[in-house]
Amino acid sequence: MKRKLIVLCAIFLYACESDDNTQPEQPEDPYGKGVIVVNEGNFTDNNGTLTFLPASTQNITYDVFLKENNQSLTGGISGYGEVNGKGIILVDNSGAGQDKIEIVNAGTFKLEATIPSAEIENPREVVKAGETKAYVTAWDATGSWPDTYINPGYIAVLDLTSNKLTKKIPVQHGAQSIVIVGSEAFVGNIYSGKTIITVVDINTDAVKQTIEAGADPNVIGVDANNKLWVYAGGALKKINPSSKVIESTVTLNPASAGQSPGKFVLSHDKKTLYFTLSAYDENWNEIGQVYSTSVDVNTINATTPLIRKVFYGMATDPETGTIYGGLVPSFKQAGYVFRYQPTGTLIDSVKAEIAPSKFFFRK
Amino acid sequence: MTTKGLSGFIGLLSLGSILCFCGEAIAQKELTLCEVEVKGIRPERFMTGQKIREVDSTDLARNRFSTLADFLQFQAPVAFKSYGAGQLATISFRGTSAGHTALLWNGVNINFPSLGQTDFSTIPLTGFDEMSIQYGSAASCVGTDAVGGSIQLRSLPDFKTEGLQLMAALRAETSENFSGQAGLRFHHPLAGGRKLSGKTLLYGSSIRNNFGTEPITRKGKTLPVEPIHTRQAGAVQDLYYMNAKGDLLSLNLWFTDNDLAVQPEVMMLREITRTRAYRGSLSYQLGKTLLRTAYIRDITDYGKGENLNPSHTQIDRYILRAEHDLSWIRDCNKGTNLKLGAETVYFNALVDGYGGIRKTETRLDLYALLRHQFSARLSSSLNLRQAWVTGYNPPFTPSLGLEYILVKNDRNRVILPVSVARSYRVPTLNERYWEVLGNPDIQPETGFNKEAGLVWQHKFSEATQTRAGMTVFHNLIDNWTYWNPEKNYRVENLQQVLSKGLELETSVQSRIEKIRLTLQAQYTLTHASQQKEYGAYTRDIIGKQLVYVPRHAISSTISATRKAWSMDIQQQFNSKRYITFDHSGQPYMPFYLMNLRLGYEKRIQKRILNTALQVNNVTDVLYPNQKKNAMPMRSVALSIMIGNF
Repeated sequence: MKRKLIVLCAIFLYACESDDNTQPEQPEDPYGKGVIVVNEGNFTDNNGTLTFLPASTQNITYDVFLKENNQSLTGGISGYGEVNGKGIILVDNSGAGQDKIEIVNAGTFKLEATIPSAEIENPREVVKAGETKAYVTAWDATGSWPDTYINPGYIAVLDLTSNKLTKKIPVQHGAQSIVIVGSEAFVGNIYSGKTIITVVDINTDAVKQTIEAGADPNVIGVDANNKLWVYAGGALKKINPSSKVIESTVTLNPASAGQSPGKFVLSHDKKTLYFTLSAYDENWNEIGQVYSTSVDVNTINATTPLIRKVFYGMATDPETGTIYGGLVPSFKQAGYVFRYQPTGTLIDSVKAEIAPSKFFFRK
Repeated sequence: MTTKGLSGFIGLLSLGSILCFCGEAIAQKELTLCEVEVKGIRPERFMTGQKIREVDSTDLARNRFSTLADFLQFQAPVAFKSYGAGQLATISFRGTSAGHTALLWNGVNINFPSLGQTDFSTIPLTGFDEMSIQYGSAASCVGTDAVGGSIQLRSLPDFKTEGLQLMAALRAETSENFSGQAGLRFHHPLAGGRKLSGKTLLYGSSIRNNFGTEPITRKGKTLPVEPIHTRQAGAVQDLYYMNAKGDLLSLNLWFTDNDLAVQPEVMMLREITRTRAYRGSLSYQLGKTLLRTAYIRDITDYGKGENLNPSHTQIDRYILRAEHDLSWIRDCNKGTNLKLGAETVYFNALVDGYGGIRKTETRLDLYALLRHQFSARLSSSLNLRQAWVTGYNPPFTPSLGLEYILVKNDRNRVILPVSVARSYRVPTLNERYWEVLGNPDIQPETGFNKEAGLVWQHKFSEATQTRAGMTVFHNLIDNWTYWNPEKNYRVENLQQVLSKGLELETSVQSRIEKIRLTLQAQYTLTHASQQKEYGAYTRDIIGKQLVYVPRHAISSTISATRKAWSMDIQQQFNSKRYITFDHSGQPYMPFYLMNLRLGYEKRIQKRILNTALQVNNVTDVLYPNQKKNAMPMRSVALSIMIGNF
């Protein structure tokens, strides 16, 4: 390859030189403000990646980890978070015993440490749980369907000073969604049929209590009224994070019968809840839209969609309120990120990588 | 890919070309009409105009410890999707997908009916006596799956050597792979010119493929290692009885058991796939009539974790076939052969994924294979096939082939083969019956393959013969099924794929003083791509090379024998392979693979002692499997075989 380049340069000498001259100096910290797109990858291809969308320019960087470390991430990517100037990448390989967590310098994306496979299995989500601490939810080893969630889930406690996994806090089977409220973490689960939310004290890393919430609770976030939104047992619920009491169940009337809700996400000001409603038509096409509702209501009548698309992953920019939607045409070709104003007006769409599913907004 | 390795490889290839352009056993095709008239004619003889490569028993014996996947990967344009050594390996023939190659054992399609494909890592070369690789679509009587090509495996009686011969063989490889085989062959002449012969073979292996547990790094690239343990066991029992008139009664039994454990040491992470196949065939060749009954049972169990509660698949097939040959022979160079046949298969499937409902179906195939030889130079064949499946009617699939010998003299022969063929693939049982995701209304895939070639055989001397061949092909496959992720992986007839390409091959057989040298090499240029838009984002993939299909593939096998010593070099080069349809992300880099084998064979009276030292992946190349784990690195194997004792 190098030799080919030299030959090309010899032929087009002038062009090569001028190219070199116009190349800008590499900044010290190439990855500043912007969005990290978590591209999940295709299941057995183990080709998850991170895409960097800078806030100020159009210069998208694909597969940031490969670019900076000259090696690929070795699995699907189930999450990304930042704590103490470090990026935490959850690598979920399709093979059992091959998952890991890569810890990179958040500014340069150079690899700093790896939490090896022996210590983590099926990591799902990562959140900041302190100045130098991250919580990672994990399923542990799975069995074959339908007995998939045979082991209790756990929270892996990461210390981002030593870059070590310091503790595993056992929680319910299928542990997945996690939201930090004050000094507590609220942990939900998927698919295992468990009905509790586990509350963990992030100072002591110990389970404080559980909340009976309904099957497969998905913990969404805390709204402007300081209510914790949860989707559990097929219904939206508002929980008082202090008393741990379910204060109300929100009735959701879909636009048409048979639609299922999903992809719940709060707006940047926490006053609006976005979600999708979708169903499969007779030809098995997933038809769906994005709706929005005020967090003050206790009945949602989904009538007019905000966006006439259904996304694989959705998030809002905590500063601007821009809605990000990850569109997956197929797990065997690059997906797209659609950006909308909070009003639902399309801003643009950019090509990402395989299955853009989550977004991390860097300040 | 190492540049050094590639240049060495090219060097070896050009050495081959200087020695000659080259030659290959097409002896069977050269029989005159008079010679083949006696009994039923093998279906391959009706494949006029098609490319066939015969792999004889010597080749198979040398690779007795290999699986079909190990062996065929050195036979471009066959590419494999391998999930790792000792793990699932599926075939891609001329750019088509795994379900587009018919695997036939004694004429019976043994592709696993739920998936419509075969795991080639579970088929050892020792399970049969002869193999032919048939390129293109017209390749089998009962035509489903023969879209890209077909592989024919045959069991054959040995009526040459009288008496009882025993054999035993062992192989040990540094990567903790061990294999053993033991068996016997006998031929017992009976009174009145009748003959009895048979073969019994037991084999087993334990494959750990141990290259440590740490990720492997070569030239700045790192790939993880997946621990596995595969245990294979099998038994072959063949019995043949021939009467004085030459009528042959054959009983062939073949049992294979393949038990794969991923993460075998960690109970919690363990993943088990066990496949077992029971295959039996009873045939009676009575003059020009063949009657055959066969039974196949395929079982798969898959489970994960500590408390294995495996999902279970069991599919039984009952097969009946009758064939009759007719011939009108004017002279040795002019005449007509006609083979008329019918086959019926009854399927009985118990698959957990079908919702606990037993699925049964009956298939009927009728075929008429017609071969007409106009003269010593021109022959043709017209094959007509029609299948009926319960609730389904695959298309009528005719094929037409022509072969013209342009030049024919003492030293040269130039042949022009041309063929056009329609092909089809009956949707697999999973595609139709899998709960929710399957689609009972799915259509059969259809293909239309056209190919033309030019073959030059040249005899430099009695000692040196060569053959060079070129083939261009164009295969358009419509209604290609796809488990569509956009529709939650429901299966659909979404795609239309065009696979076209150019194949060059050359072979040399030479004797230089006491050295016998054979070389064969193939180069393939394949472009296989999606043609039709079927969704808002498919424009990103139209016309782009399909996933896992290398554009350029080169393979070669060189063998040299001098007295008791022999040496084989197997080489393979694959260009870049994409893993996404739109070519985004990181493709699999080109790789070059070389295996080296040194053999020593001592004969003491009739007894044979054969030892071989084999180095696999000589250049220690790091390349990925389907799951992006490291494929086997360099390993050394020692094998010993004693025979005829």
